[in-house]
Amino acid sequence: MNEPQSNTESNAGDANDSGFWFAARQQLEFTRKELRETLRDRRTLVTLLAMPILLYPLLGLGFRFLAVQQSLSENLEYRVAVSSDAEGQWLVEVLRMGDQIVGPPPADAPQPELQLLTPNDETTFDLKTVVADTGADLGVEIEWDHSSDTGFLGTRPARVTLIQNSGSPLSRDAYDYVTERLTAANNHFIEGWARQSQQAFTIPIQQDKVLVEPPESRSAILGVLPLILLLMTVTGGVYPAIDLTAGERERNTLETLMALPVPRFRLLFAKYVAVVSVTMLTGLMNLVAMSVTVYALQLEQTLLGSGGFTLGLLGTLFLVLTAFALFYSAVLLMLTSSARSFKEAQAYLIPLLLLSIAPGLVILMPGWSLSGGTAAIPLVNILLLSRDLLESTVQPLPAIAAVVSTFLYGVAALAMAARMFGNDAVSIGSQGSWRGLFQRPTNWTLTPSVTSSFIALATLFPVYFVASGILSRGAEIAPFERLVLSGTVTTLIFLGIPLLFLWHQRVGIRSGLKLTAPRWVAVPGALLLGFSTWPMVFELLMLAQDWGIRGIDPEQLENVEQLLAGWKSVPTWLVLLTLGVVPGVCEECFFRGYLFNGLRDHFKPLGTILITAVAFGLFHVVLAGGAAPERLLPSTLMGILLGWVRLRSGSLLPSILLHVVHNSSLLLVVQSRDLLEQWNIGQFQQQHLPATWLAAAAVGFAISLLLIHYSQRGTQLPANPQV
Amino acid sequence: MIELAELTKVYDSGVVAVDRLSLSVESGEVYGLLGPNGAGKTTTLRMILGLLAPTSGEASIQGCRVSNEPLRMKRRIGLVSASAELYQWLTPREILHYFATGYGLRKENANARVEELARVMDLKNFIDRRCQTLSTGQAQRMNLARALIHDPPVVLLDEPTRGLDVVGAKVVFDYVQLLRTAQKAIILCTHQLDEAERFCDRFGLLYRGKLRHEGTLAELQSSTGRPTLVDMFLDLLNDADEEESSETMAKQSRATHE
Repeated sequence: MNEPQSNTESNAGDANDSGFWFAARQQLEFTRKELRETLRDRRTLVTLLAMPILLYPLLGLGFRFLAVQQSLSENLEYRVAVSSDAEGQWLVEVLRMGDQIVGPPPADAPQPELQLLTPNDETTFDLKTVVADTGADLGVEIEWDHSSDTGFLGTRPARVTLIQNSGSPLSRDAYDYVTERLTAANNHFIEGWARQSQQAFTIPIQQDKVLVEPPESRSAILGVLPLILLLMTVTGGVYPAIDLTAGERERNTLETLMALPVPRFRLLFAKYVAVVSVTMLTGLMNLVAMSVTVYALQLEQTLLGSGGFTLGLLGTLFLVLTAFALFYSAVLLMLTSSARSFKEAQAYLIPLLLLSIAPGLVILMPGWSLSGGTAAIPLVNILLLSRDLLESTVQPLPAIAAVVSTFLYGVAALAMAARMFGNDAVSIGSQGSWRGLFQRPTNWTLTPSVTSSFIALATLFPVYFVASGILSRGAEIAPFERLVLSGTVTTLIFLGIPLLFLWHQRVGIRSGLKLTAPRWVAVPGALLLGFSTWPMVFELLMLAQDWGIRGIDPEQLENVEQLLAGWKSVPTWLVLLTLGVVPGVCEECFFRGYLFNGLRDHFKPLGTILITAVAFGLFHVVLAGGAAPERLLPSTLMGILLGWVRLRSGSLLPSILLHVVHNSSLLLVVQSRDLLEQWNIGQFQQQHLPATWLAAAAVGFAISLLLIHYSQRGTQLPANPQV
Repeated sequence: MIELAELTKVYDSGVVAVDRLSLSVESGEVYGLLGPNGAGKTTTLRMILGLLAPTSGEASIQGCRVSNEPLRMKRRIGLVSASAELYQWLTPREILHYFATGYGLRKENANARVEELARVMDLKNFIDRRCQTLSTGQAQRMNLARALIHDPPVVLLDEPTRGLDVVGAKVVFDYVQLLRTAQKAIILCTHQLDEAERFCDRFGLLYRGKLRHEGTLAELQSSTGRPTLVDMFLDLLNDADEEESSETMAKQSRATHE
């Protein structure tokens, strides 16, 4: 071995080179290292290259097969629009003649039927418009000699103009169908005239064709494209995000990295750039694979309408993809930076992935548009913006609001990630696997782990979403049975699932849900809070509606009104039990019980309260059969209040009491709304509450807050043990 | 050069990892910080580096304090940790350039330093191979080179020979000797007590976060009456156990009286 340099001073002179350009070069080198590390990993390459190359051709073939099957199995009907009844009659006669000549179609081919659309006293239409708007599959304009007594042919040739929608395969088929019969009729007459050779020969029917363009981007697939884009982004970013953060810890390379004399944020930013780059590369690969597949299988018009895959559309898709990548990569890094192992990072990302799909489905529902309220909801805003971009219906102000808020969320997520990344730089080795994530522990513990809390949340959300949707379809169910069913479903979901998780994770029910006795002062505090909170929540709902945040359409509102009317035929005790007590108890057992206790292991009190409150708020947005964004703010605030009560009292029971009393009070008011109207309080649900009510509620609210504040136990509870 | 003053770390769980540790290491001196697993050695090194914030006390190098100037402190330290691994998908050359840039070396200086370390640490045969193909000994030599890329005045070695065979360990200790010649201030944490006896100038025996004995080998022999570090170490463990049992008995006795 050779001798090293013997100077005692470090090359600190170099280190002093901290000018802008040197810092930029440093940052470039940091990013290069992250990109090298990621792109040389075969697992990244599989997501980047193999997935799109394999996936899209398979999806395309599947789609084509389904489309063919569907067209074969459907009852084929062509809607043909004409300008008058007389023209309709003319067309029917000519087609009937053509039918006789052409003969019936083969037995295994679809048997088309013709539906004639004519304007009447109530409806008038322009043939080109009605075809372009897909109100009819084909438009037929006919000019012929009405005055002749030679039947429908006349003395002069009849001129038939067929108006076809160029973006509709059905319109093309209808055109072919009619043309075939007109040609057959023509040929029939030509043959007849040819036989009588003395007569002058003229073609009796002359035919013209007009192609009309449908309005751009009317295809249903465009509504789903943002969701596909989201999934594309997710698949690209997940693995690098985990690998470059939690992976560093697990592979014991983080300590040397954190020993560098560079601010933590700069190291993380290099990782962020790498994750964004890989995500965008994945997206680009997906776009290319999708375009090639669509082109090769000739699916452009079927999937994307008349426009097909244009450069403009591809550019727009790539812009949307970039916005996704910038925002989503920051969120991914925020979550994975706090993970100590691959396994933990995976557990954090499962709920995120599932929750990300929800907004993609939500925007397909009617009533969602980019506005003042929705522009601030993460992911939903960017999905709505991308949808508007694709449909060319972008409004500048909400679009700017969506971009700015997304940018801010991204920055906030990145800042949080920088705080967490390399926090203690402790290398904890753990080989993660999905199997290990679902293994039942061998020892009993006092509280749920943060991992299982997130998994429970991720399980509950889709189950609740589906269950509430199914419940809303049972309109014919009698109110009594409906309420019983609703109470049962609530119990099974919000109590059953946490209990199942407690059993699986070997956590005691009492300690796991914090069903301990509170100090006595918490009981009157929670009671009073329950009675005094609902007017404020109600007012917030009214305000939200005043501000235009409304997600339920009039039809759904009518259903709710019918529901409320139905309750009058049901005993009040049942309404209170199934909609007041049961949700109060069960929802608290999950949100302030299982979820809250699990998160306390990992987050500070404020973080725990906020996360459980936002989750609580989001669940309440999913109203049976629709979405009610105006419920997000009041429900989240209610969640914060319930979380604070749980934290101060050190027990779940006051939160349950508050929730039950709050729900029941509100229900009693709803049940007695006829009485309220007699008291000149006005039409319930459409007017604000009287000022005296609000003042009384505010006083009660203040007193109850003081009571809860002083209900805290004297001794500090120990931090939850690590599970 | 290195000054630790009443350095203390108490974790949130209440565990006292390091308890009022004070010591100093001069240029050209190798200080052996010895102790069983969990004694607080690694925690001490992490506090010097600024990776962990001390609960109280201070660590400084050449008058630069970690609490005030953490980045300047980091520039003056090279860390070699047994638990630290290499980036499997990168080559040693790429890793060395990465860390050289991170420590603020200009490109031409970085190139020269990489070439020098490749020669000194005998990396030339594998400097352009991916790290996943390196043997344990090659990886540890590479780890040492990475820690010295910025030619720091202070080197912290946390069990640098763990997992190495006799030849590998000899390479590391030979290099420690050379670093001493180059007037580096070195703190060496190791379980190889016989090697430590040969290479360290002074020793600190740490147990449960407290510095139980400190001095040169001769001073320790005189104060403990034991000839080797191994004997001193075993005595330390026995004494600590007795101390613990007497403390437990005292607590029980107090509880009974109350």
